[in-house]
Amino acid sequence: MDNENTSPPLDPRLLEILVCPLTRGPLTYDREHNELISAKAGLAYPIRNGIPIMLVEEARPLAP
Amino acid sequence: MSQNNSNETADFGFKTVPRGQKAALVREVFDSVAGKYDVMNDLMSLGVHRLWKREFLTALDPRPNYTLLDLAAGTGDITFGWLKRGGGKVVMSDINAAMLSVGRDRAAANGYLGDIEFLVADAEKLPLPDASFDRISMAFGLRNCTNKDKVIAEARRLLKPGGRFMVLEFSRLQIAGLSGLYDAWSFEALPRIGQIVAKDAASYQYLAESIRMFPDQETLKRMFEDAGLSRVTYRNLSGGIAAIHSGWRL
Repeated sequence: MDNENTSPPLDPRLLEILVCPLTRGPLTYDREHNELISAKAGLAYPIRNGIPIMLVEEARPLAP
Repeated sequence: MSQNNSNETADFGFKTVPRGQKAALVREVFDSVAGKYDVMNDLMSLGVHRLWKREFLTALDPRPNYTLLDLAAGTGDITFGWLKRGGGKVVMSDINAAMLSVGRDRAAANGYLGDIEFLVADAEKLPLPDASFDRISMAFGLRNCTNKDKVIAEARRLLKPGGRFMVLEFSRLQIAGLSGLYDAWSFEALPRIGQIVAKDAASYQYLAESIRMFPDQETLKRMFEDAGLSRVTYRNLSGGIAAIHSGWRL
């Protein structure tokens, strides 16, 4: 949707330290969808204009 | 996605709203004011906010080997001041993407992009691991948070042992003789300036009201202590119109 191809990539230094705000578990970077996946929470956090949006209410629930 | 007990409430300025709604209402305020935020701060405080921020930065004691988490970083005044004074890497966090993109544009214009990472996050639920930062700052942000105790607890969690949390916020005027003038300024002048400059009186009405609802110096000091911070102190600025609060994780 709003993951335009022009969107800059996520800063790798930030990716190293980020955790899920809900579970504090690890995140994996889904390059194709430009999202950060929390498997434990079942949520995908969007990255917009290169900035991770780490808000639970903005995250996309993953299909179980 | 909030554990919304519908009978729990929060203050939104002088209004009482369901607790789960406050964040969205605050977001609307800052979405609305983001583009004019800096010029409005100058008008509203007659430029004095710059002096307060300077005091705040001196107290933060920037050093190259210190990392900073700047909460409610918004358009970046604290982050840029920290870097300008030789502080180390910064994570700039704000719940509002509109405010943060103004901050990123300013960072790019000033050549600071290499030292800053940007993050949209809720200060009550930060996506960062324990004991990560030497300094955590929050300037004019705590007032807008729904659960202030949770924010202070998160700050303590994220500080390294020996790290310091500092809050710059409007506080309680300590000079009784000035309160009439201060009230007139807050509730008569500010919304009108907001209407003229940002075309949004309601948002600035909220800002004025939220200042009055914020815990006073002694109450906020106790909240820091209750969250487990040590050597908690505060210092009044401009007679208590604002104050700098500080606590250490020891």
